[in-house]
Amino acid sequence: MPVDQPRPAHNPLEESHIDEVALSTVLRTVPLGAAVLAGSAVALVVLGYLAIYLFVFLPRGIVG
Amino acid sequence: MRGVDRLCLAHLWLAFAAFVGAAVLGVWQMWVRSPLGAHTGTPGDYYMSVTAHGVAMAYVLSTFFIMGFGYFVAVTALQRPLPGQGWAWAAFVAGVIGVVMALVSIALGKASVLFTFYPPLTATPWFYIGLILVVAASWVWCVLMFVSMAAWKRKNPGRPVPLAMFGTVANALMWLWTTAGVAAELLYQVVPAAMGFVQTVDVGLSRTLFSWTLHAIVYFWLIPAYIAFYTMLPRAAGGRLYSDTMGRLTFIFFLIYSLPVGLHHLLMDPEHGNGTKFIQVLLTAFVAAPTVLTIFTIPASLEIAGRLRGGRGVFGWIAALPWDRPMVLASGLSFVMLGFGGLGGLINMAYGMNAMVHNTSWVTAHFHLIYGGTVVIMYFAIAYEIWPRLTGRQHESFSPLRWQLWLWFVGMMVMTLPWHWLGLQGQWRRVANFNYDNPIIASWGPLVIVSLAGGVLLLASALLFVRNLVVLHRSVQPAPTSPLYALAVVPPRHVPAALNGFGLWNVLVLASMLMAYGYPIAQFVIAPSPSAIVHRTE
Amino acid sequence: MTDQPRETHERWVLGTELTWAFGVGVLVAATISIIVFTALTLNINPPSNVERIDPKTLHLSGEFSEQNLGTLVAADGTVTARIIATQFAFVPHCIALPRGRPVTLRLASPDVIHGILITGTNVNTMVVPGYVAQVHTEFTKSGELLMPCHEYCGLGHSEMWATVQVLSAAEFKPDSDGRVSCARR
Repeated sequence: MPVDQPRPAHNPLEESHIDEVALSTVLRTVPLGAAVLAGSAVALVVLGYLAIYLFVFLPRGIVG
Repeated sequence: MRGVDRLCLAHLWLAFAAFVGAAVLGVWQMWVRSPLGAHTGTPGDYYMSVTAHGVAMAYVLSTFFIMGFGYFVAVTALQRPLPGQGWAWAAFVAGVIGVVMALVSIALGKASVLFTFYPPLTATPWFYIGLILVVAASWVWCVLMFVSMAAWKRKNPGRPVPLAMFGTVANALMWLWTTAGVAAELLYQVVPAAMGFVQTVDVGLSRTLFSWTLHAIVYFWLIPAYIAFYTMLPRAAGGRLYSDTMGRLTFIFFLIYSLPVGLHHLLMDPEHGNGTKFIQVLLTAFVAAPTVLTIFTIPASLEIAGRLRGGRGVFGWIAALPWDRPMVLASGLSFVMLGFGGLGGLINMAYGMNAMVHNTSWVTAHFHLIYGGTVVIMYFAIAYEIWPRLTGRQHESFSPLRWQLWLWFVGMMVMTLPWHWLGLQGQWRRVANFNYDNPIIASWGPLVIVSLAGGVLLLASALLFVRNLVVLHRSVQPAPTSPLYALAVVPPRHVPAALNGFGLWNVLVLASMLMAYGYPIAQFVIAPSPSAIVHRTE
Repeated sequence: MTDQPRETHERWVLGTELTWAFGVGVLVAATISIIVFTALTLNINPPSNVERIDPKTLHLSGEFSEQNLGTLVAADGTVTARIIATQFAFVPHCIALPRGRPVTLRLASPDVIHGILITGTNVNTMVVPGYVAQVHTEFTKSGELLMPCHEYCGLGHSEMWATVQVLSAAEFKPDSDGRVSCARR
């Protein structure tokens, strides 16, 4: 067992109130939901970007 | 906490007082621009109002809020008193004097140059000196943030700096770097011209120096919202921060990627060529990285909270979150606005598409949505969260707080979404009154009125916000003693020096600024542009 | 927290973050490639002709003297419109341009910063005193378009705009000097 570092001084504004077992259980699924949500959001933004580029910007004419 | 309570509250009240005044002006401006108020007010009135609105929202609300929040974080995250409180108060007083000088100059009609104050248009020197005082005050704040963190690190060798303070110091460092540009423009070019010491100005140089500040300043405004996302939101939702490391990387990426890309604000300018512009667009793509990390890490943190509360399935955790808590509600609304505002920003920074939107209402709509919406709604949330700890009193009800946040969100979407569309139609910026007899302009009228309605909702929300804080000062509920800052899933015991300080990143910033701005500025020193005559507006 | 779950959690968090970053990185790189490819093949650029000119002597002689302003068809057929942007008007106030032919707009300012856009098109540039702003384009539709000054230039900024008449080949008739004025409507 490696020697642990001295326990950090206690900041009452950072206490943990969460059951570590519950946390471990939940971490078996997380971050699936976040990945789907964030992935969908990024996909929508990219699609919106391409749509505006192809259907609004390019038809307005070439400039250089 | 006692000593710094008054210091924080002073900064925050000044910020929000400026905010409400500016909100009133904003609605008047939208009225005058619309068909409903088409023959009201003179251009003189309008440009005075726009200058005051821009200065108040972009320089006073932001800077003083960030300073007040920073002092709060330095004391509560580091659990130690603020060093140099005398300096902090002196800086506040200097800042107040500066704000008064600037606003009086504007009110007297001697500074209708807008908050971007592009020379050769030149205002009374008192306007610029006022702004310089505000910036100087903020530089004192920066130094106090560095001193705070350094003192804590000496007392806590080998331990990771609490994330909220790490983010605050990253922000302070970025602010020092970015204000160098506008400070150089003001001190070297604009103030001498305003005082009559020089009769001409090199406009290519002034545009370039100002652009140095233009991009990172918006991240200066944004980072406090991200500090709330990473260090307050997971706690408020009842979960844990998914990754402390990603938080640190986010703040570091903002520091190094947002500074060198200011030249993308000059994509339509004739004083720089293709090569510079193309490189700037490529570099700008990197500044999307911290946001991309955040839109995964923060939902993951919320997902922990939602699943702990019983949420099931791919999306069930979302409904399970405690949306009745203002910090959680504001963050959700902020992320929705970030989606739209982010898309708009990606279009602004595009090598080709910038030409479609530059100086149209699209730009105005974009920054109202991304700053006024995504960022300022988090300023409200932070205020609601820390005010109880500053005053010792708790909100008697969260319901008016939620109403205020929803009103802000709906108002911002109603005001800005049609405004983006009008920009694509060619509606241009900074117009005191539109000639609705022209058929092209007349076709815009209905959407301008819709935007105005959004603006009215925003004013209602702004007034309700102040009401909620005033009421809190008289509340009889005692302040919460519950923890404020979030714990990470894996609370760090030790982080590498690169993630605990800024020595390495400072060197990188210096190198990247030299690379990005070295020649673009040097070219004007070697061969100044043909100069333009100073045009006084007083 | 004991060390076993801590290490497991640490690996899981790091792994998922890296997967996310990689996935998004690929998506963003693909999007940028599409944009860069179309920009290079279609030759779309922001206005980047870096050409200096003294704002204090624009009106005296040379390219931007008053008699040289407006649309000119050169002997080789190239169409160039020269416009002065000044507080608070464009000179000339109406600019005639052809549909379906490459045109070049060249603008200069003798006083403060102005800027232009042409409604319905991607024509957009700042006009900075000290520099000639230049935009190349080709109009695809005929009609009457607005060309406002889009950068704040003083109290008269709201009144500062020009008209662009995009004329069909039949209507776009240069006179003996090669000049084209707006058609009477």
